[in-house]
Amino acid sequence: MKGSGGSLGGAVFPNAPSLDRPGTGRAGAHHGELIQGVFQDERGRLHRGLITLPLSHMNSLALFEVADEQGVSVVPPEKMKAAKAALLTLRHLDSHHLGGLLTVESAIPVGHGYGSSTADVVASIRAVADAFEMQLRPSVVCRLAVEAERASDAIAFEDQAVLFAQREGVVIEHFGDALPPIWVIGFKANDGQLVDTLALPPARYSSEEIQTFAMLRGLAARSIKYQDPHLLGQAATLSAKISQRHLAKAQFATALGIANNFDACGVQVAHSGSLIGIILDATAPGVAGTARNIAEAAATAGFKDVVVQPIYSVRRPS
Amino acid sequence: MRFDADYFEALETPRMARLAANVVAAAFPLMKLMPARYILDRAEAAGELKGKAHIVETTSGTFGMAVALLAAARDYRLTLVTASTLMDSKYQARLQRLGAEVIALDDPRGDGNQKGRLESLDGILRQVPDAFWTRQYDSDGNWLAYARLADLFVRSMGQIDCLVGCVGTGGSLCGTGTFLRSVFPDLKIIGVDTHRSILFGQPLGKRVLRGLGNSVLPKNVRHELVDEIHWVGAYPAFHAAHRLFRQHGMFMGPTSGAAALVGQWVSKTNPEARVAVIMPDEGHRHADTVYNDIWLSTLPGWRTPASAFPTKISRIEPKPETAWTRFDWRRRSLEDVMQLQTTDR
Repeated sequence: MKGSGGSLGGAVFPNAPSLDRPGTGRAGAHHGELIQGVFQDERGRLHRGLITLPLSHMNSLALFEVADEQGVSVVPPEKMKAAKAALLTLRHLDSHHLGGLLTVESAIPVGHGYGSSTADVVASIRAVADAFEMQLRPSVVCRLAVEAERASDAIAFEDQAVLFAQREGVVIEHFGDALPPIWVIGFKANDGQLVDTLALPPARYSSEEIQTFAMLRGLAARSIKYQDPHLLGQAATLSAKISQRHLAKAQFATALGIANNFDACGVQVAHSGSLIGIILDATAPGVAGTARNIAEAAATAGFKDVVVQPIYSVRRPS
Repeated sequence: MRFDADYFEALETPRMARLAANVVAAAFPLMKLMPARYILDRAEAAGELKGKAHIVETTSGTFGMAVALLAAARDYRLTLVTASTLMDSKYQARLQRLGAEVIALDDPRGDGNQKGRLESLDGILRQVPDAFWTRQYDSDGNWLAYARLADLFVRSMGQIDCLVGCVGTGGSLCGTGTFLRSVFPDLKIIGVDTHRSILFGQPLGKRVLRGLGNSVLPKNVRHELVDEIHWVGAYPAFHAAHRLFRQHGMFMGPTSGAAALVGQWVSKTNPEARVAVIMPDEGHRHADTVYNDIWLSTLPGWRTPASAFPTKISRIEPKPETAWTRFDWRRRSLEDVMQLQTTDR
């Protein structure tokens, strides 16, 4: 309390690192996007943007131990983007004269399109901030992440649904709630081949597609406001169909067919990867059985790495 | 940032009004602002509209008003070609106050003289070769602009099963319908036309209900999207406009009345369906006519009861202004439907 004793003798330095305790940070994976396209900001300017489908049960965990000399070393050493993110965070905290040791442990499979790199980057930014006993706003974390790896996604917002400009690191629209509870049966098209996201030229959308994205944004807003997985699924399906014109996935029509056969809410894709997900309403009776049947059908159709993923809200009591 | 962006976006935004448990109407003050702004924005972005460019268009009114508002705010020169039967002197004076030059042609046949208007517009384009024609009849920009309406509809309704709207240029119904159907493939699109408009195969004649229908066929009318077409006579439309005012406090134009009439009928016959209705304009322009009992009493047959429900027809033909007919169009081309009409004879 103000004026009460205790800290009179020594000044309080909120930005001083607690050298005896390493900072920790955590960030989740994602399963591609529900919607991706270009969207108008409030001034009418167009931005590339997306709504991430977060996977909160797979995480990257980062530890940061502050050292009194410049430079960040990282374990394992190939996580260069994470190290860069740690340096950028030190600079953001006006502590570029300091450095440290960053350790990243991730349960997210690398190179499978689950956004492991972004998760490492976001976890590292949070770990550095935590070492300074600070928390950063999601918008700041996103900006630093984009700076560290050119394009990012919105996982810093956890389960809060946002329309995120992935190349600028800014939020175009905050939908004001979490996604409705869904299950995603995920698998890989194209024999699981990997896509180098950053090497892809950005899609050039037609006027009709750009206009369609405006409606998709409205559908997403409605589905989040009313927690309607069916509307969200329909929007994701249309976004996936548009993506198919720009980066075709083998057997996409097969995936749509499976979704239809089992009355799923819809289909989502990683718009710059090979992941496909079939969306189910988590609150529908018999969802686990339907998920198993869809997983079997997908495996039978030749899709690789079929996984059933409940998308839990972080705030969900468990 | 465009200094006018906010103002025109607000003015072109409809009020989303619930007409019944399963019906939401988008009630526009001036719907045509949506395509007009989109077409001008696109032309500006493409460098087709620069400095003090000269814009030209043929219009019966509201598209002209929309372009005139934008042209005044953005400092463009504007010439509008219309017909004397389509525009009263007060409306013309409003357009002129905005700086628009209005050419009102004679209309001896009472069909809107669209052919004469297009010839006059051609003449201007020959004299002013770098004039910009907004081309609401066949510009893609017209229908593309209505993604914004599709966005507003899904935000306020979610799933949509039926879309009801008037057809004049085809932009609003076919545009909104295209976007909504891309996400709701089973969407039923129900068009509202009027007797003696040629859009859906009727012979050309004098129309009493204005603001929908046409005497020429614009490219933006895409018949293959339409499941069902209604021809609403002037009188049921006028009565519907009066009811909108009394029952919902909405002072709308008679085309909005026609759309509401059909929309409410669709909702009653499909109680499970979620029905979206497009109501394109307000009633102020019609205060001395549609909302004036003395003017109404001069209309031949006005006291005859107007149809309260549509008569399903299989032969497409004009009916009196008291009548309301409908036809199962079934997403066919005009050619296909008309071919069957002649072989059936």
